[in-house]
Amino acid sequence: MSNAQPALVVENLSLAIGPAVVVDNIGFEVAPGEVLALVGESGCGKSLTAQAIMRLLPPAIRQQAGRIRLGAEDITALPERRMQAIRGRRLSMIFQEPQAALDPLTSIGSQIAEALRQPLAEARPAVRRMLEEVGISDPDRRIAQRPFELSGGMCQRVMIACALISRPAVLIADEPTTALDVTIQAQILDLLRRLAIERQTAVVLITHDMGVVADIADRVCVMYAGRIAESGPAADIFAAPLHPYTALLLASIPRLSDVPKSALAVIEGRVPQPSEYGPGCRFANRCPRVMPRCTAETPKLEARAAGHQVACFAA
Amino acid sequence: MTPTLEITNLKLHFPGHGAPIRAVDDVSFSIAPGETLGLVGESGCGKTTVANATVGLLAPTAGSVRVLGTELAGADATTLRAIRARAQMVFQDPVTSLNPRMTIGTAIGEPLLVRKVARGAELRDRVAALLEEVGLRPDHANRYPHQFSGGQRQRIVIARALALRPALLVCDEPVSALDVSVRAQILNLLVELQARHAMSTLFVSHDLAVVRHVCDRVAVMYLGRLAEVAPRDALYAEPRHPYTRALLAAVPEPDPAVQRAKPRVPLSGEIPSPANPPSGCRFHTRCPLATDICRNAVPELRQVGESQVACHLA
Repeated sequence: MSNAQPALVVENLSLAIGPAVVVDNIGFEVAPGEVLALVGESGCGKSLTAQAIMRLLPPAIRQQAGRIRLGAEDITALPERRMQAIRGRRLSMIFQEPQAALDPLTSIGSQIAEALRQPLAEARPAVRRMLEEVGISDPDRRIAQRPFELSGGMCQRVMIACALISRPAVLIADEPTTALDVTIQAQILDLLRRLAIERQTAVVLITHDMGVVADIADRVCVMYAGRIAESGPAADIFAAPLHPYTALLLASIPRLSDVPKSALAVIEGRVPQPSEYGPGCRFANRCPRVMPRCTAETPKLEARAAGHQVACFAA
Repeated sequence: MTPTLEITNLKLHFPGHGAPIRAVDDVSFSIAPGETLGLVGESGCGKTTVANATVGLLAPTAGSVRVLGTELAGADATTLRAIRARAQMVFQDPVTSLNPRMTIGTAIGEPLLVRKVARGAELRDRVAALLEEVGLRPDHANRYPHQFSGGQRQRIVIARALALRPALLVCDEPVSALDVSVRAQILNLLVELQARHAMSTLFVSHDLAVVRHVCDRVAVMYLGRLAEVAPRDALYAEPRHPYTRALLAAVPEPDPAVQRAKPRVPLSGEIPSPANPPSGCRFHTRCPLATDICRNAVPELRQVGESQVACHLA
């Protein structure tokens, strides 16, 4: 997969709110058909990163540095009108709350057709095929229905249909299964994985759930307080996490295989606020392996094994 | 020994457009002193409705809810008030569970003050002890909820629930709103408190891995009915209801080697509406094993090995 030209490249991206750098110099690339997970807890900057790629940042957030490339094209500074032609066509996004993301007053058929910039009358065969592809039964009836007539899981399938009907090169999925029940989550994750492979779509999956990452991600970037702590192939990150944050995070999750009522690993303290960021590693105040150097300098993301990078002096 | 909680043929129906919504139908289970029962299921299965009924927040349509032998169904205000001192609740969202204009010391002390258990210096000492018990400092008492993180606020809510030394703690998704690293702290705290106080707990959650971690016994609900009730190890090692098996298979394990080797038991279809539940076994529309009997006859909960299962085919 690494031989192909990446579908999406993010380089040295930094985002700031006022003086606080909330996303600090992060970079990654995603190949066609590959699922890259950006994983982290609330406030780690994963959703802001997604918004920056879509060029949909809230007005208070300023992009200080960084380049975003879609295939061979640098889209960092494209005028808004050109971006509008790219969004939903070459670069699509799906969100956490499918019911909130869809237009409540428009039939789902028209909403999917809109992604093709066509009236439903013209696009009906394509919309019908797409609904079948995302596993919606009885598409002829569903086409005319509105979101409130569908369950959350079905609405998420509709949003995926909207996002993928134009065959984008890149799909950004921001917590796509967080609002869904586990049995429905399993269906949606299977669907995303199948479509990514079949259509060779590069997927950036944003999630806080290590179980979801383990299920479908090929590669993982673990984010903490606006920085990438560790990145690498999913198998390596789970089998041999290098960053103390990743290791603790994994050990803190109850599993079906652990000893019931045993003490889970705990990360003491809490995630720092942007106003509390110091010059050193942002995990230093909670890190069991902290050294004097950690609070003074920022560790760089460095390769330790093939494709496996970590930003830690102790790793 | 009297069970701490005994629920028999509990029904909770609500008026809907046309047919009533049968949120809970014929649910029976009990919790022994010191025991933790996990109540699991997906959204709309009725687990929160059952939890609310156990502390008298909802009046049953039919059936019985007994806390320490006292009947809550049809109880007068005095009885309800007395029983609520013995059954306390912890909700999912610690932010909305605390009054933003009340110091946390006042919030934790309020049950003791209202019930005339303690006042003055004694109240302050009790509040300080409760704060320490949940891992906070006594000098936190004068602060307001906004000065705490989500995990700390859930500790405050737990301290308030413990103030009257309840016999039954009802926790409704107590860690679902918390970040992963904080979730572990609260789960460790709950396990510690169970051991220290030999308290009975009804632990409502959608997360099977979390339930396995803290519970002794597990009840699985589907669309208002119990599918299976079993001791923890029996349920996880040998799930007998096809829904329990599907639910377990759908839990994404945080380990790609395990997760990707897992046999998939994909449940097709959506969860039907409790206003118009399927005939017979409510799970039959999604069950890979369903036969004619499943479509026609409601399966009763019956004993199979260590488990109670409501499935014609188990």
